Amino acid sequence: MKLFSLSVLYKGDPKAVLLSAAYDVSSFSFFQRTSVQEFMTFTSQLIVERSAKGNRASVKEQEYLCHVYVRNDSLAGVVIADSEYPSRVAFTLLEKVLDDFSKQVDRIDWPVGSPATIHYTALDGYLSTYQNPREADPMSKVQAELDETKIILHNTMESLLERGEKIDDLVSKSEVLGIHSKAFYKTARKQNSCCAVM
Amino acid sequence: MEVCGEAAGRYPSNYNAWSHRIWVLQHLAKLDVKILLDELSSTKHWASMHVSDHSGFHYRQFLLKSLTSQTVKDSSVLEQNPLRSEPALLLPQDEAAAASTEEPRINIPHLLEEEVEFTTDLIDSYPGHETLWCHRRHVFYLQHHLSGSFPHSVTQLSTADSPVGTSSDLHHIPTGPRTAQAMEVDGLSDSSKQGYSQETKRLKRTPAPDSVGLEMEHRFIDQVLSTCRNVEQARFANAYRKWLGTLSQ
Repeated sequence: MKLFSLSVLYKGDPKAVLLSAAYDVSSFSFFQRTSVQEFMTFTSQLIVERSAKGNRASVKEQEYLCHVYVRNDSLAGVVIADSEYPSRVAFTLLEKVLDDFSKQVDRIDWPVGSPATIHYTALDGYLSTYQNPREADPMSKVQAELDETKIILHNTMESLLERGEKIDDLVSKSEVLGIHSKAFYKTARKQNSCCAVM
Repeated sequence: MEVCGEAAGRYPSNYNAWSHRIWVLQHLAKLDVKILLDELSSTKHWASMHVSDHSGFHYRQFLLKSLTSQTVKDSSVLEQNPLRSEPALLLPQDEAAAASTEEPRINIPHLLEEEVEFTTDLIDSYPGHETLWCHRRHVFYLQHHLSGSFPHSVTQLSTADSPVGTSSDLHHIPTGPRTAQAMEVDGLSDSSKQGYSQETKRLKRTPAPDSVGLEMEHRFIDQVLSTCRNVEQARFANAYRKWLGTLSQ
């Protein structure tokens, strides 16, 4: 069971703003890592943009599960995990991170922030600790406070989109994806092969 | 072994990597008891972090089976008696009273008990993984097989009561006969080396499995069903109960 990324975003209107992120791409081959990271950022932003405030959701895409929590104050967290990682722990992590972040970073900085301007360094530590759910959160199997029936489950990324929207278009218009990543995505789609992240 | 570990980490439920690992144990390590024990403890953490990796757990089943059959083979005195009641099995390493071999005495019932606790812990921590329930069946079977409780029927270990194709944990299992034997090609193919199938014929058979053991399993199932909120988990728990029921037939 593995965590790949952990990000904090602000759900602006209409775009989501990335405030801070941590990644673990060690399991990917060396030359894929940059693209994978970019795609995870792209995915996290897209998910937050398409999720309503006050909601929790899990979006399945191939063998990945993206868990998102958008608070009522528009602060949002996304953790991208594999399908083995227990979702209960993922949501506990998101709750914790957002709580911690909101205490350390002024609300006024959220709507216009970026990883370069925001001073928050705890995400790497959280990502690393939570790689082992039982060490990080030993009580999670006992405390079942979160009502799992309220978590929205999406079976594909497509189900987040509006009618007529296509991921391909969103990818080519994206500002966070580099040219290399976009090309890689196009090739993978053409070959109908399993694109590493999308 | 490192190569096997690396491959196993890269591809989920990597049957080839784990089969190769078994091959290495059989042909290079000659199923040396100390090495089997080391493997059991060194793969424990990996298994706990890959709870849907059926091949990883199948490897543990192989290790436990090998240790069990080797213990039975070495202690020829124990052939006729249920192993549970034979204290010679529990001899501490520095007091090897039975002069037949220099190998360390291994406490099989204890090992199996530990494996049950390990499985329980994982089932509670990570609800909804069929692999863990399947593993529990294997361990239970081994525990009660030792005392000659059941007729030798490996086919009952399969999770045949769950519909084909709905569980992602088992997606790699060949769609042929979905029995434990399909996964144990390497373990059982050379029965003269393992001495496994011969031993099973020699062990006494009683009509019903140990009722204390069964009762504990039913209590466990009840506890899981009363606290779990995961639909899959409930389904697996019920399937396990049904399977236990088939054992006394």
